[in-house]
Amino acid sequence: MSGAIGGTIIKLQNVSRIYDTGRIQVPALLDVNMRVTSGEFVAIVGPSGSGKSTMMNILGCLDRPSEGRYILDGQAVDELDDDGLARIRSRSIGFVFQSYNLLPRTSALENVAAPLMYQGVPRKERLQRAERALERLGLADRLHHEPSELSGGQQQRVGIARALVTEPALILADEPTGNLDSHSGAEVLELFHDLNALGRTIVLITHDVEVAAAADRAVHLRDGRLQDAVPA
Amino acid sequence: MKPRDLVRLALSRLSTGKLRTALTMLGVIIGVASVVALVSVAQGATKGISDRLQSLGTNLLTVNPGFSRTSGGGATRGAFGSATTLTLDDATAIGKLDGVAATAPQLTTNKLVIAGTLNETARIVGTTPGYLQVYAYDMWTGSFLSGASVDHNLRVAVIGSTTATNLSLDASSIGATIYIGGLPFQLTGILQAKGGTSTQDDQVLIPLSTAHELFVGSNSVSTIGVSAVSPDQIDVVSAEITTTLEQRHGIASGGVDDFSISNQAQLLGTVSSVSDVLTFLLAGIASISLLVGGIGIMNIMLVSVRERTREIGIRKAIGARGRDILAQFLVEALALSLAGGLIGIALGMVADFAIGTYAGWGFVFNPATPLVAVAFSLIVGIVFGVWPASQAARLDPVVALRYE
Repeated sequence: MSGAIGGTIIKLQNVSRIYDTGRIQVPALLDVNMRVTSGEFVAIVGPSGSGKSTMMNILGCLDRPSEGRYILDGQAVDELDDDGLARIRSRSIGFVFQSYNLLPRTSALENVAAPLMYQGVPRKERLQRAERALERLGLADRLHHEPSELSGGQQQRVGIARALVTEPALILADEPTGNLDSHSGAEVLELFHDLNALGRTIVLITHDVEVAAAADRAVHLRDGRLQDAVPA
Repeated sequence: MKPRDLVRLALSRLSTGKLRTALTMLGVIIGVASVVALVSVAQGATKGISDRLQSLGTNLLTVNPGFSRTSGGGATRGAFGSATTLTLDDATAIGKLDGVAATAPQLTTNKLVIAGTLNETARIVGTTPGYLQVYAYDMWTGSFLSGASVDHNLRVAVIGSTTATNLSLDASSIGATIYIGGLPFQLTGILQAKGGTSTQDDQVLIPLSTAHELFVGSNSVSTIGVSAVSPDQIDVVSAEITTTLEQRHGIASGGVDDFSISNQAQLLGTVSSVSDVLTFLLAGIASISLLVGGIGIMNIMLVSVRERTREIGIRKAIGARGRDILAQFLVEALALSLAGGLIGIALGMVADFAIGTYAGWGFVFNPATPLVAVAFSLIVGIVFGVWPASQAARLDPVVALRYE
């Protein structure tokens, strides 16, 4: 679970990710060093092609660095096998995606409860926890709606509820406002702000400097390298 | 993941695409239904034949002319029943052996039978009074051929129940004249029906001596039916008959016999071995459709993995391990094949019942058949589900999440 306030949640040491396409090697991330402490709200900003997606995959333990060390919540991720990665995704990370990525033809309640299923939580308990998470996000009257019956803003709030339900050490949001109108987008950012105020550690990945401004601090990616961190 | 969660996921998935689920299951349904129905039909047919053989009497031995086996090289096999080596005297000699209850030498020919304005070509069997006992017939009305009728070449006839129906003869016709091969005979009796669809009820029995005199003109017989006093005497009596006939025909013991002896046990054995082959053959053919059904499941599962790549990516992102995904897809395939298997069993049993009723051997139900069929459909589910499921489990979450 989440470390104490002020403890290190993310530590990247000389992390590189190089895609080997056979003939040529494409570096997507080069020698990245970064530290995120518990309770921080950090934005990673960069234009397309800057290595944002690769950064997101590495931070989210969907992919392993080619070189360097990544320590998440005290666990050295680069040493883990696929099952180990799945386990750390299950316990320590809550994803929020640009396109929501909810399970189709599955109710909001079941969507939010799904991560708990992979933790082996009994069904009754996980439905209770999912219901509480949805209530907290103002979706108490949408429990049994399927994603196709919800607006974009509502879907994203279901997505956030799903990310929160496991009480992860890190909320990792990839362009969470990218598919939303400005009003819904502002609401979602406000939500992140509130969650951060409650002690959640949030890393938000975006190309939009205005969105990044919602965070406490922003770090800039360009051509796979981290630019000098600009404290907020 | 817990098994209950896996089952719940599979069932909710299968219920969202009902038409597709039904069509996918159809292959397994047809496969299992045909296995169940065809195996039952084979077993039913066997039972029908066995019952009919049993109704002939388990004490029955049949002696036919011709070779039944080749002992030593070079023996020419005579077609069964084509030779004329058995005589009435052979039958008389057999009748005097220990353990023989009755004998029924027969000479068979086909003649036109006319009764009033009706006629049919019937099997005419010249025989002796022992026939009634040897073949376990009962009289329906009138009396059977008497010893005197055989001794004196009387022109009397007893007919089977089917023949009686065909010629519109009944109890009131006893004593009436019918014409066999253009010659007048007096009808003395009608046999009780044996039942079934057998030809045993469509025949005309006349004294053996009369048949010799009028229709064949030699002393030979085409078959000798022998009834042993009890079923456990069959082997002893069979050996006695062999010895006696070898002596009478001047054949050295162990030489090539000019006759053959068969009994009901042998026939039953032959029937059951034939029916085993039949059962395996039918089950084999039905299994092919089960195989095709399995391939249908695999096809749909592969398409499903492709379609649901993004879902797989999402599930992996929120903490599913490869084996959770594998289990999810495998249980889906198993649910498809198991549901198909159960429906198939039900349909197969309905077909079995319908065929059994129509064919007259009734509902033959072997509990092993559905068990084997279910086991088979589960195996089909696993075999054809594993590959698509492992494809799903191996998907890279990064790629899967980006999949459109």
